[in-house]
Amino acid sequence: MTLFSEEQRESVQTAFLDPQSLWNDLNHFYIREAWLLDDRRFREWFALFTEDMMYFMPRRKNVPVREAHREIPPIGTDLPYYEDDRKLMEVRLQRLESGMGWAEEPPSRTRHLVGNLVIETVGEDEVVAKTGFICYRSQLEVDQSIYAGSRTDVLRREDSEWRIAHRTIVLDANVILDKNISIFF
Amino acid sequence: MTITTTSTKKYKILDPETGALDPRIYSDETIYREEMEKVFGRSWLLIGHESLVPNPGDFFHTYMGEEPVILTRDRQGGLNAMLNVCRHRGARLTRTDDGNCASFMCVYHGWTYGLDGALEYVPGEEQAYDNKLDKTKLGLRRARVETYAGLIFATWAPDAPSLEDFLGDARWYLDTEYKRRPAGFIAYGPQKWIQPVNWKTSVDNCSDWYHVPTTHSSASNALARVMGATRYTHEWNWTVPAKHAFVNGHQIAVFETTGHEAPAEEVERLGEFRANNVAASASSIFPNTVLGMRLAIPRGPLQTEFWHFALVPADATEEEKRVLRMEHASQNGAAGTFEADDIDNWRQVSNSGATFIGAQQEQLLNMGLGNAGPHDVYPGMVTDRFVSEHNQRAFYLRYQEFMNAGSWADISLEPQTAVYEGTTAEM
Repeated sequence: MTLFSEEQRESVQTAFLDPQSLWNDLNHFYIREAWLLDDRRFREWFALFTEDMMYFMPRRKNVPVREAHREIPPIGTDLPYYEDDRKLMEVRLQRLESGMGWAEEPPSRTRHLVGNLVIETVGEDEVVAKTGFICYRSQLEVDQSIYAGSRTDVLRREDSEWRIAHRTIVLDANVILDKNISIFF
Repeated sequence: MTITTTSTKKYKILDPETGALDPRIYSDETIYREEMEKVFGRSWLLIGHESLVPNPGDFFHTYMGEEPVILTRDRQGGLNAMLNVCRHRGARLTRTDDGNCASFMCVYHGWTYGLDGALEYVPGEEQAYDNKLDKTKLGLRRARVETYAGLIFATWAPDAPSLEDFLGDARWYLDTEYKRRPAGFIAYGPQKWIQPVNWKTSVDNCSDWYHVPTTHSSASNALARVMGATRYTHEWNWTVPAKHAFVNGHQIAVFETTGHEAPAEEVERLGEFRANNVAASASSIFPNTVLGMRLAIPRGPLQTEFWHFALVPADATEEEKRVLRMEHASQNGAAGTFEADDIDNWRQVSNSGATFIGAQQEQLLNMGLGNAGPHDVYPGMVTDRFVSEHNQRAFYLRYQEFMNAGSWADISLEPQTAVYEGTTAEM
């Protein structure tokens, strides 16, 4: 199995001399990001996003196969679980830092396993990258939940670093089986 | 076949003199089973919004208590609420959340029903059933449906009063939210998630501003700092010009916006006084509509499925809609910075009566006893105390009344005295 279609390989090669290096670079980025989340270094995690960031988690509906286009309502058409710009994400972080964000006091124990990286498109200073993830959450005495899903990111090159400009998280769930979503993906 | 009342037990769960509450009402399996009959089996229940089924053939899958229900818009434009259970073997007729169709076919044996629930087709009606099946008697179980300001309610009870009587004077307040804008609302959502709580805890919490400065301090402080939002402190609670009104077990927090000059079209719709002075805020409609258009759907004594819709004015600009959506998602709902901090509190309240010693410790709902009564201007039972436990008492007494009633004949309705001004006076 190759990581790029022939067409993609060509576009990747145009932007970066070596597509494998790009893939390695992004994979490293995502592994580092997962550790930041699981080590609760949320400020450093937040710094991975651009100023004009969007953190979006749509609903996922039960629809017939032939109406698959309705399964995931696009941004602007529905009430998603997350539709955060930088300011709203700042509210979430300040809450966690306050010592009184009770949903995370004591904090969750999370483990994000992120993989299956594919690079969907490559632009001049942006790439669209897709990953799959499993996230285990344990909290308080016996609470635990498992989230699975995909993330599609628009990553932008800023000051020789990758930044997340737009993240769409699609959970593999209809009714969320967790008491609250006070963790990040 | 008649399914008779499961119990004739008379509940005394709340002492109105002392505010002492029996905590076993949250976790007891027998009580829960009886609620499914006596509360959810007979009350009017919010099941959806007209904007979810705007066109003929549209359907939205919803719940009345634990019962799966299909809400449809039929070819004549009428609304139908039908039990999503096939009359043959009890399989579900649709497994999708919403859509548009001409009929519902059970995927077990192919029995097919129309948008109004009529049984239209049975495979082998002649060959297998010898033409002896009376299809006219085998339609889906239908609930009564009525609407208020785009909100769709249904009840299983043939003897239930009209929705207008059920809402009573609560409507005078709710109008100031649901009828203020001429174009009505569009419902976005719902978010759906399961909370490990008893459904009642979220309803009684809906008017509980006492918990806000403590439970929600982190979200409120951060929102104040970052977005310039109101900081919900105790001091704010004690001094905000607001009231609470209670009617038939419903509750409305009312902000007095004296001095506000509403746009002319709102004055025309609501009358001068309500348009300018009354702004309904957090409301709960008995039994399980919580804080606007949100449902606490029972899934067992200690499990509740929450449905969070966002109502957005249909004539709002794209920018206004965006702001409303983002506000809804970031503050309440499954990932809401406010709501996230409620859940463990409600869970602990729900579990408090589930242990031997815990069951012996009554909960205390005595705050502000005696400070609510009739008001010259505002209908219903009204309190000037923004922080009190009047709603908890009113809600649990109403709940007790439902649990002890043999039928709707035993359930009281408060007399309607509200005077409606404006063009939206009609239900």
